[in-house]
Parts: sequence; structure tokens; C-alpha cells
Amino acid sequence: MANKIFDRDTLLDLTVNVVPLFIIGFFVVGFVVLAPFGIDPLASAIQFGLLAVPFVLLAVLTYFAGRAVAGAEHSSDVYLPGQASVRGAEPLEEFDDTPESLERDQTNAVEGETADDAADDH
Amino acid sequence: MQVNGQLALTVLMGIFLVAVAAWLARIENWRSYTPIGGGGALGQQEGYVSEEKPSGIIRWLTTVDHKDIGLLYGTYGLIAFVVGGLMVTVMRIELIDPGMSFISNQFYNSLLTSHGITMLFLFGTPIIAAFANYLVPLLIGADDMAFPRINAIAFWLLPPAALLIWAGFFPIPDLIPAQTAWTMYTPLSAGVGAGNQANAGVDLMLLGLHLSGVSATMGSINFIATIFTERGDDVSWANLDIFSWTILTQSGLILFAFPLLGSALVMLLFDRNFGTTFFAGEGGAMLWQHLFWFFGHPEVYILVLPPMGIVSYVLPRFSGRRLFGFKFVVYSTLAIGVLSFGVWAHHMFATGMDPRLRASFMAVSLAIAIPSAVKTFNWITTMWNGRVRLTTPMLFCIGFVSNFIIGGVTGVFLASIPVDLILHDTYYVVGHFHYVVMGAIAFAGFAGLYYWYPLYTGRMYQKTLGKAHFWLSMVGTNITFFAMILLGYGGMPRRYATYLPQFASLHQVATIGALILFVGQVIFVWNFVQSWLEGPTVDDGDPWDLRESGLYTAEWDWYDQKLQTAIADGGEEEDSVLTDGGDEEESVRTDGGDVDAADD
Amino acid sequence: MDAEPGLSEQYRMASPWPLFIALGIPIAELGILFGLLPLAVGGLLLFGGSVAGMATESGYARTPWRALVVVAIPLAALGAGFVFTTINLPNRGFAIVAAAVILAAAGVVGSAFNTTNDPTY
Repeated sequence: MANKIFDRDTLLDLTVNVVPLFIIGFFVVGFVVLAPFGIDPLASAIQFGLLAVPFVLLAVLTYFAGRAVAGAEHSSDVYLPGQASVRGAEPLEEFDDTPESLERDQTNAVEGETADDAADDH
Repeated sequence: MQVNGQLALTVLMGIFLVAVAAWLARIENWRSYTPIGGGGALGQQEGYVSEEKPSGIIRWLTTVDHKDIGLLYGTYGLIAFVVGGLMVTVMRIELIDPGMSFISNQFYNSLLTSHGITMLFLFGTPIIAAFANYLVPLLIGADDMAFPRINAIAFWLLPPAALLIWAGFFPIPDLIPAQTAWTMYTPLSAGVGAGNQANAGVDLMLLGLHLSGVSATMGSINFIATIFTERGDDVSWANLDIFSWTILTQSGLILFAFPLLGSALVMLLFDRNFGTTFFAGEGGAMLWQHLFWFFGHPEVYILVLPPMGIVSYVLPRFSGRRLFGFKFVVYSTLAIGVLSFGVWAHHMFATGMDPRLRASFMAVSLAIAIPSAVKTFNWITTMWNGRVRLTTPMLFCIGFVSNFIIGGVTGVFLASIPVDLILHDTYYVVGHFHYVVMGAIAFAGFAGLYYWYPLYTGRMYQKTLGKAHFWLSMVGTNITFFAMILLGYGGMPRRYATYLPQFASLHQVATIGALILFVGQVIFVWNFVQSWLEGPTVDDGDPWDLRESGLYTAEWDWYDQKLQTAIADGGEEEDSVLTDGGDEEESVRTDGGDVDAADD
Repeated sequence: MDAEPGLSEQYRMASPWPLFIALGIPIAELGILFGLLPLAVGGLLLFGGSVAGMATESGYARTPWRALVVVAIPLAALGAGFVFTTINLPNRGFAIVAAAVILAAAGVVGSAFNTTNDPTY
């Protein structure tokens, strides 16, 4: 399931948030290895907490957002952003093509149409 | 004497309440209510099929239609913008010469405080809410906001908030304006010591801020509920437009940030009036700064994310291409949303906090630069090889990108502790954030106001005046705020009503820039009001020729539908307009296509 | 125009209540903060009454009367908190309690006098 949602394109899209994660991770490693101001139980705990909490939250939010967006792509027609409710709008290219439509019907039955549903059932 | 005062107040209040009740009884037949839907649990289900609203001023006082409320927010925001702009014009005139005594130092401090609070809370947040209210339901295919009445409450809290914040400027005896700066640092704002900040004017300002926070929180809950639950059938997360994404993220930030400000303000009010000691002493001063900036830094992103959404939305329409890397922009918006809560103490590097903590805040502050930079590259790449049409909204979008780069890069330097320790509390900081708030946020607001002008007025603005507005704003912004950055390098401290002679020329340059900005905004107000009243009507559902490049979107489709319905109804009031309509077609086309339109 | 009864019946996109809810909050806050007790009571009455009216209008409550009592309960609790806890601002607390009592009384009286209307719901 997860593999199908997080295909190569989605992972590529998500790299944008991997960069800040990497920067935070870089500083975590740096502060551990170099410990420029020494280690103090309370101050160091807060120091790493201040890095870890945003890191974890960003990773979690990126995961769920990616799943919601990619899940919606797999389970319903994709329009250009802002165009879905335009009269006579046509879905964007390939996503509703035949190879996927069979599978799409199945996932539709399980997931319902919205991505948050999709996110819930995992 | 005191008893008499209370008695008089009681009588007045009683009369007021009776008047309200009488008015309500007159327009509301309380007995005429019929049961609404079976369970009636969903207020908004009662059916907006009937478009009827009362007429005249009653309509605006009682409306719960998201478009009307959007217009109210917009009007309010622009009035606040005028007020805040006039305030700073006076300040810049005072700074034209170190010996200038145009206004007193106290009045300068008052203006400084009110300019900041007015622009951030009474212009910035409401003008974004204006766009969001008007557009988000249209863009996501919703009938209205999830809670239309809460929406109206959120707006109507704002006028009292503005009156309270500005109360000190009104000729009320014994009341002086707050001089705490917008950050309201204790102990100054706690009213202790020899200063005059124990005055009730500060209390009123704090109450007004509190109200505006309540309003913003109500609005944000409404937007979150609307975007999650009221999307049209075809509007999935995969094709939610970028503006709604930024509003969703912004609302999340408001939801976590503003209640904290509200609590901190109540604590401060208690300190001032009821003898509590939340913010007493050195620890208390640090506590205030932590609480304030835990709100204050997300507030920066609360203000900048939706304008980024507007630019991401408008800029591709005039580049003839889709937004490059749409999902990069979406995910980086979310990343900014999360990380913005992890950087607050970079405003406090100079407070002598533990160096370990400082280092962590620096790390996250540097990390948050990445998502912003990603967006910048996306905008530039969108324009790259695009069919760029330099209309007024597009000019403002490009101005946004340009100014945001300067504002952003100066910010990255401030995120670095050693640099910050040198530049902290200098004009460099002022220049940096004004590049962002004026050069970027306000520019995006203008881009939106011009781009959707036909949508909400049904008329077209005057394109020459629009372009004059842009160029004066662009030149004025860069002159004023670049001079400030240079002043900061020279060591000019913030917030002073005067300065050492060595700073005179740069201050004069900044003042000249501010006056250029002022002229530009006068033109804007003139253009905005006159075109609304007398501009040529737009009879085309696609005034920006978006269909041919496949970039037509839902809100214009709604407008097109509205025009067609109006024609079918025999739109009476538009009679005299047909002649103007002919002109308008042309003016639209020239504005829309004077650069590269020949290509196709 | 405003002589026509039943605004929110007739105009689905209009409601008179939000304006007064929004007006009630600052009046009450000012009154409580500065100890101007008539303002505190009046603002809370305006706020509470409008909340009840809006709840009725949007279908969350069938009559405004019981909604008034429901609004009064948290207000009374808040007022009691001001009086009896370490907040220790008895005058302001009593003002809040007074507003709650008036609201509750209005609710009780209203439902007592409007029983005949109930069958129409």
C-alpha cells in the first residue's frame, strides 16, 4: 500500500522537505560530535529537544501530506489546481488512464474518495 | 460621585440594551421560526438557495455571505493600511533631520507602536482574511464557509479592536497612546517604574490586540473546517489550489499561535491591573519574550504564507505556464508551517540565553530558509521561458519575488548568531523585515487586489495608474529600506526619534523613499476607489485571457456564471454600462497583452 | 425594509446576531478589566443573549430560552471563579454572576410565557 502511494514521483516531490531535515540532522550530529559548549543535562536536553521536535514533526507532517496528496492522485481524477470545479474542465493527462483504472476502482471501494480517508485506513 | 458615575453608566447601558433589543425585535420575528431540517444540527444547511439579503446598510451589518464578509475585511484592511501609512509618513518626516521637532518624542514612540500593531494585526491579517473569505469557498467549490455566522463574528470583532488599539490617540482625557513598541516587552509594558506606561491607553491596546487575536482564531478554525469538509466533489488534496493550501497552513499556525498571545496578553493585563507578578523581574522579562516570540515568529509566517500563495497563484497566469514544481511549493509551505514554531528565540540571541539553546535555534532558523528559497526558485523557473505579460498584478508579483529575495537573504544572515549579535536592534533588522512585510507581503496583497479587481468589483482598474502605483512602490520600497539596511550596518539603533548627525544623509534618503511610497499609495487609493465607482465594467468572464493558455480557474468560472445569470435576468442596473463595456474590452486587452501577446 | 419581520427567515444570508456577539465581548471585557460593572453586566447580557439568539436561528437550539440558561451556566461558573478562587476579584465576579442570573431568569421567564408557542415547533 505505502509503496504504491509513495512512488518515485512522490518521493521526488518530498525531497524538498528532506533538505531542511538534513540541515537539522547535520546540526544534531555536529552538536553531538563537537559539543562546542559542553554537555549539561538540562541545557543539552533542551538543545537537542529543540532540534528533535521540529525534525520529527516535519517528518510526520511531510509523510501524511504526501500520503494525502499522492493518495488522492491515485484514487480520483486529477485536475490542474484550482480547475477541478470549473465547468467542463478536463482532467489532467494520464492519471485516469486504462492501465490504472481497474486498480483504481478497487482502491476507491476501500478508501472512499478523499485522501484523509486513505490516510486513516493505513 | 463615583456612585453617580456607575448609575449613569448603568442607565446608558440599559438604554443601549433596550435599543438593541428593540431593533432586533423589529427585524427579527422571534416567533416565526420554523424547525430547520429534521435534527437541524447543521446551521448552514438551511439553504442558501435564496440569494436574498436585506438592502442598504442593514445588509452589510447582518451579512453572513463569505463574499460580503471578504469585502468588509478588505475595506477594513485598507482603511487600517491608510492609517498605518499616515502614521509612518509622519514618523519619517520627523526623521528627516536629527533636530526636527515636528512631533514630540513621546508621540513618535506612540506612532511607532501603533504603526507596527496596525500594519500587522489590523492590515496584514485582515487583508489576507479578505482574500481567503472571498476566494477559498469559490476555489474549492464550497457554497460558503463552514460556519458563516462565526465568520461574521470574527469580522465584527475587528472594528472594536481597532478602536481600542487607537484609543490613546482619541481626545479622551487622561488617556495616552501606548509607547511599548509592538513587542510590548516587560517591564516597560507592565507599567512599572518611572515611565508613563501605566496609563490605561496601554490596557486598551492590549484588549484590542486580544480581540483581534480572538477574531483571527475564529477565522482560522473556520478556514480549517471549510477546507477539510466543504470541498467540492472533484476538489481533492491533489488538485487543491496553492492559495487554499497556504490558507490552510496559515490557519494551522494561527490556531497554535494566537491563543498563546491571548493568554500572554491576559497575564500582562493581570500584572498591570490586579497585582500578579507573571512578568516581574529578569525571569519575567525573559518569560514574556519567550511567550511573545513563540507567537511572534509564527505570526511572521502567518502573514507571509498566504501572500506567497497569492503570488504562486497569480504569477503563473501571466507567465503562460503552470506553476513549476507545484508540489514543491505545497510541501515547502507545510515545512515552513512546522519549522516556524522552532525558531522563536532567534529574536532573543542577545538576551544572554544558554549558548546551547541559541545554537539550536540558529540551526532551525537556517533550515527554515530552505523552503522559502525553494519557492523563490519555483517562481523564477515558472517565468523562465514563459510568455510573460507585464500586467499590473504580474509586476507586483515580480516585485514580490525581487523584494523577497533581499528581505529573505538579509534574514538568513540575521539567523546566524555572530552576525545577529552585531546587527541586533539596528536599522538592519528594520530594513530586513520591511523588505518582507512591505516589499513582499503588501506587494502580494496589491497583486491580488489588482488581479481579482474585476471579480469583486465587476469593473476594471485604470492600468496606467496601476503601473504608476507599482513603480512608485517598487522604487520607494527599495530606496527606503535599502537605506535602512545601510543605516544598520553603520550601527544606527532602532526605535529612536532622533539620531547622530553621521546618519543624516541615509535617513534623508529613507524619508524621500517613504514619500515616494506615499505618493504611490495615494495613486493606489484614488485608482481603487474611482475605478470601483466609475471604471469600465468587465463583461468578460475571462478578463485575463486565461482560457487560451489553459490556466482558467474556478473563481473566474464563478464570475462568468454570474455574468451569464445577470444577463439572463436582464441585468437592469447595468444599462448605462454597455458603452463603457466596449472600451473596457480594449483596456483589458491592452493591460493583459501588451508585452508578448503578439506571440500567439 | 427593516420593518419587515423575520430577517433571518427571509434573508438566508443575513443574521443580525454576529454583530452583537462581537460587540458584547469588548464591552464586557472593558467592563470587567476596568471595574465598570454596568458595562460588564450589559456586555455579557448582549453577548449571552445574542449567542442564544444565534443558536436558535441556526437550529442548534429550538427556542432561545433554554439556550439562555445554557449560556448562563458557564458565565456563573466564571463569576464564581472570580469570587471564590485566588483570583479574588469579588466585585467583578459578582457582576458576571449577576449577568448570568439575569440571563437565566430571562430564559426561565421566557419559556414560562411562551409555552403556548411550543407546539408550533
